[in-house]
Parts: sequence; structure tokens; C-alpha cells
Amino acid sequence: MSSDTPRRQFEDIDWDADRGVGLTRQTTGFLASLLVLATLFVYDYLRQSPLFEPNPVLRDGWDITQLDWLFTLSLLLFCFYIIAPLWTNRRMAAHYWREFRKNRAAVVSLGYLVILFTLGLFGPLLVGKPSVELIQGYQPPVGVAVDNSVPLQCAGRVANGQCYGSWAFPLGTTGEGKDILALVVLGMRVSIRIGLITSFLIISIGATVGTVAAYLGGLVDEVLMRYVDIQQVFPSFLLYILLIYLFGGSLLMFILVFGLLSWGGTARLVRSAALQRSENEYVEVARCAGANATHVIRRHILPNVSGTVITNLTLLIPGLILFEAGLAFLSLGDPTIPSWGQTIAAGRSDLGSAWWVSTVPGVFLFLTILAFNFVGDALRDALDPRSEGNT
Amino acid sequence: MRWYVVRRLLWAVVATFIILSITWALLLVTQEQALASIQFQAAVSGGDAEAAREAYEQRRGLDRPLWRQYVDYMTNMATFNWGYSTSRGQPVTAAIMDALPYTVMYSVPWTVLTVVFGLSVGLYSATHQYSKFDYAATFVAFFGYAIPNFWFGIILLVIFGVHLDLVPIVFDPDVPVFSLANIKQLVLPVFVLTTGSIASLARYSRAEALEYVQATFTKTAKAKGASERRILLRHVLRPAAVPLSTILVADLLGLFIASSYLVEVVFGIPGLGQLSFRAIQNQDTPLVLATTLIGVFIAIVGNLLQDIAYTVLDPRIDYGDR
Repeated sequence: MSSDTPRRQFEDIDWDADRGVGLTRQTTGFLASLLVLATLFVYDYLRQSPLFEPNPVLRDGWDITQLDWLFTLSLLLFCFYIIAPLWTNRRMAAHYWREFRKNRAAVVSLGYLVILFTLGLFGPLLVGKPSVELIQGYQPPVGVAVDNSVPLQCAGRVANGQCYGSWAFPLGTTGEGKDILALVVLGMRVSIRIGLITSFLIISIGATVGTVAAYLGGLVDEVLMRYVDIQQVFPSFLLYILLIYLFGGSLLMFILVFGLLSWGGTARLVRSAALQRSENEYVEVARCAGANATHVIRRHILPNVSGTVITNLTLLIPGLILFEAGLAFLSLGDPTIPSWGQTIAAGRSDLGSAWWVSTVPGVFLFLTILAFNFVGDALRDALDPRSEGNT
Repeated sequence: MRWYVVRRLLWAVVATFIILSITWALLLVTQEQALASIQFQAAVSGGDAEAAREAYEQRRGLDRPLWRQYVDYMTNMATFNWGYSTSRGQPVTAAIMDALPYTVMYSVPWTVLTVVFGLSVGLYSATHQYSKFDYAATFVAFFGYAIPNFWFGIILLVIFGVHLDLVPIVFDPDVPVFSLANIKQLVLPVFVLTTGSIASLARYSRAEALEYVQATFTKTAKAKGASERRILLRHVLRPAAVPLSTILVADLLGLFIASSYLVEVVFGIPGLGQLSFRAIQNQDTPLVLATTLIGVFIAIVGNLLQDIAYTVLDPRIDYGDR
């Protein structure tokens, strides 16, 4: 709050309205974008043909699916409730960055994740769907030479019976002649979708259930927490297996099953933190001064647990990405969407001759999970004010 | 405390009941779908859709009232009458009994190794915080967690199986359990699984143990002249074991169920995971249902045991008012 605000009488404070200028602007912005999104959705729903016809930039055109809508919604939330607050609260953001910067591996990892995010967001629009072309199968990546008998027709330089990789296929091609670079970029899209949409589901459901349970207590608390018990016991992996067996697999189902069943831990975390925090003096003071439950939850409880929740998420998301890759590897995933697991499975039998087919997506998968873990570890130290000093 | 254990036990039964009911409802929905497609096919091929429907319902027992179907399903589940697997030509329970030993064969050494290595690495890292070993252990833990199990397995098979010819590439289910050949073919799956699961246990045990390494009672023990080992086992491990037991069951079980699919498929081990996987491919509904439900029951029992272990391990927790 700026310094020229006139000093207000204590009793004058309207606890419901006083939420600062930044937050209101942020909420209006979010609601406005939501309205635009809803209009577009209705327009797309009523129009039968794809929203974007094939054109020189978007090679194959773009028919927006339910998954795309869900993803855009999550992206909006991410922009308005993570990026925007950091932007308006420069001092806090700078503090977090100083703490975060202490961990060098985490900074590199964050850079990698930002690149992955950008490529996954915009790359698929440019590369188009890789097509099967047997004639260009088994091309080695740039800088690698293999025996000339491996590819049917070497696209690059041939010398001494060795086929060298060409820049036409920087990461080589699969046995079916699909460009691995395109497959990798499309796989990034899968990963960021899993990451963003499931985080959105987990945070919104988990935080709501946790705070409601802690605040209402009694029977509501008991019922909600017993439900979480059952959900935690039930392995979502097996439910997913059962569901794809019964209804067929899709990425949307994967995200919904894992997103809607993995918020139990977050809800428990938020509930216990909310119970703990509501004993604190500052909450008591706020309450004595006339703040209602919504205000206390918004201003004192949620900001206090947000660090824990975000850290928890950065450790949860890589697990989900790994799960998706594993399922795609077993061909239990979405057969229509190219993903890393699928490419690894495709190159499995050729490891002896064309080792790069499985290895390139495998390395990307490995790096992504590693990066998430490093970032999560550093975030835990940076975001949690109580961990200061004794890490 | 006894009352608490009884309540936990009852709760496990209720949870099983709810989960079975949900599965029944799911099955019912898909049966309706299958029925619709059968009727459609009959109508297309000029047959009588109504007759096809009746024949299908008769065969599946769908002509009975709903509550009757539900009760029959529940009694069948409770009496281990789990149906007949068409793809394997044997009862479902027999198929599971055939597959179970192979799963046990790699999961027992895996669990033992994970607990032993995970705990000792974690404890050592905690007592030697910020030493070279601590950094190395953290790095190895991250590495093991981040490397995708199935991909790591394939790579190792190519290196050690194809190029170095140290281990067999194809799993042979007929070798005796306690023989060199069997150990040889189980080394890689156990290694891959252990590297994947050591990480979480080591990191959690490090974090938990750190809380007690600096505690006043540990300092007192040191001042009294208690040996390093006694301090570690009695004063650090004992209190740290309580939260660790939760992580152990919850984390390892989840990992176990998912990795059993991947590792068994990659290494060709004919265990429960592969049984379930093949059942999905062959559209063998009773077998899919049984193999997935077994996983769910293992999870329920594991969670129950964990809660009971909690009460035994930590006398400080009072369960009187829960």
C-alpha cells in the first residue's frame, strides 16, 4: 500500500473489501480473460469446423480439443495468480530469487524448464505432425556416424562406408522415418500439459477441501478426511488401468484421473497447516479486530501454506510425467498423441543398431524429471520462511 | 489403543466394500455399452436385435434384477470365486497363483535392499551433513529417481545382455528359484528398481534424522559417553522410524504397483504385472479385474499395517480421543 494513503480509523476497515488494489486488478483481469475464453469456447462449439484452418504458419491447422481448453484455462490461472503477483510484488520476488539463486543446479534446471515450456507451448504449432516415411528411416543425429547399412538411404554425407547425420534431421529419425526432433517437441507439449493442468486441479481442489475441513470442523471435517483416506489408499494407477481397459485410453483421461485423485496429500497438508496457523496470534488478532473466516483464510492461511503446496507440487509433477511416459511405453496411453514414452518403445528393438531412437527421448525425460526435482528442492528452501537458517 | 486398531480394521473393510461397489458400477456401465454394440451388429447383419440382447443377457446373467447381480458379485468376490480367464484357459485364481512367485522373487530382495541402503545412506548423510559423501549421496539419489525405470532397464539389458553377454536377455521361468542362473537374471531388475526407490527413502530419512541429530537427548547421550552406534540406533533411528514407516508404505507401495508393470514387461518376467498387462491386451475382463483389485487390496492392507505400526512404534501418540 502506498504511503500517501490517509491513515484510516481502525473501525473503518471493511474487511471484505480491503484486499489491496493489485489483487482487484488481477481478479478483474482474470475474469475478463475468462469471459473471452468462454466466448471463444462457445463460438468453437457452435462452429463445426476447426478454429484454425491449415495455413503456412500452423502447418496442419489446429482443431482445439477439450484438452486445449483445459490447458488454456490452467495457463490463465498460472499467469494471473503466480506470474502477476510476482510482478506486482517486486520486492518479494527479488527476495525469493536471491534465496533461489543460492542453488546453482536449480537455476540451470529452471532455465531448462523455461526452454521446455516455451518449446512445448509454441513448437508444436510449427513442426506439424511427423509422418511415416520409410525411405528416410534410421537417420543418425548430427555429429554421429553409423555404418551405412543402418539407414536405407543416408540423408547426410557418406564417407568410408559411414553415414553421417545431417541437419535435415538434427536428432535423427525413427525406424519409420519420423523426425525425432518433432517427436521430442510434441512430447514436451504432453509434459507441460500434464504439469499445468494437474497442478491446477490439485491446487484448486486440495486447497478448497483442506481449508473447508479445517474451518468447518466437526462432521464435515470427518467426512472429507475419511474420503481422502480412501482416495489415498486407492492406487490411481490401477484405476487408470481399469478405466482404459473399459473405455480406451486418452491423455485427457490420464490428466483427469491423476489430477482428480492426487489432491489428497495437498488437502491434508493445507488442513494441518490451516489448523496450526489458526492458533497463531496474528490470526487471533485479525479475528478480534472483526475479520471474518473468508478474510482469515485468504490473507493469513493460504499465503502461509502456498510455499508448501507449490513445493509439494514440483515434486509431484515429475512423478506424473514419469507415469505418463511409462504408460505410453506400455502402449496404454493415448495412441494418437506422440509422446516420449511412445518413441522409447518404438526404438526399443533397434537399440543394437539405431541406439538414438530410444536414447534421445529417454535423455529428455530424465533431464525434465531431474530439473523438476532440483527446482522443487530449491523452492522449498526459498519459499519457506521457517526453514531459514537450518536447512 | 486396542479400540483404535479395531476401528482401523473396520475402516479397511468399509474401504474394500466401497471400492468393490465402484468397480461393480463401472463394469455395469461398460456392459451396457457392449450390449448396445452387440444389438447394433445383430441389426446390421439382418438378425434380430432383441434376440441378440436376450442371448447376451442370459449368458452374462444380466437378466436378473440389479440387486441380485450386485449381491452375487459381492459374494463371488468374497469367496474368491473370481471367474474364468478365457485367454489363459484356467481359473483366474490359478493364473494369479502361477504368477505370484515371480513377482515375489524380485520384490523381496528389492524391498530389503531399499530399506537397508535407503536407511543407512540417509542416516550417514544426516550425521555427516554437507560432507562429500552427503553431496554424492544426494546426487545419486536424484539420479536414481529421475532416470526412467523402463528406459534404464532397456539400456542395461543392451549393455550387459547384448554387448557384454553377462546376463541372459530372455527371462527363463523354469530355472530353480535358488540357483546362480536365477540370481543372474534377477540382478538387473532388482538393481533398476532399487536405484529408483532408494532416493525417496534416503532423502526422507536424512531429513527426519536431521531433526534428532541436534536434539537435546542426543547431546545428553553423547555426554554420558554412549557409543556412536547406540546413539544412532536408539536415539536417532527410533524416533525417526515413526514418520518414516508412513513414507515407506505409502511411497513404496505406489511405486511397487506401477513399476511391477514396467519392469516385468521390459525384462519379460511372467509375474502379476505382466499377467495384468497381457489380460488388458487380450480383453480378458475377469483377469484384468482380479489383477487390479489385488493391487488395491495390497494397498489397503499395507496402509492398515502402517497405521498399526504407528501405534506400536510411537508410545507418545495418544489415540484416546480419535
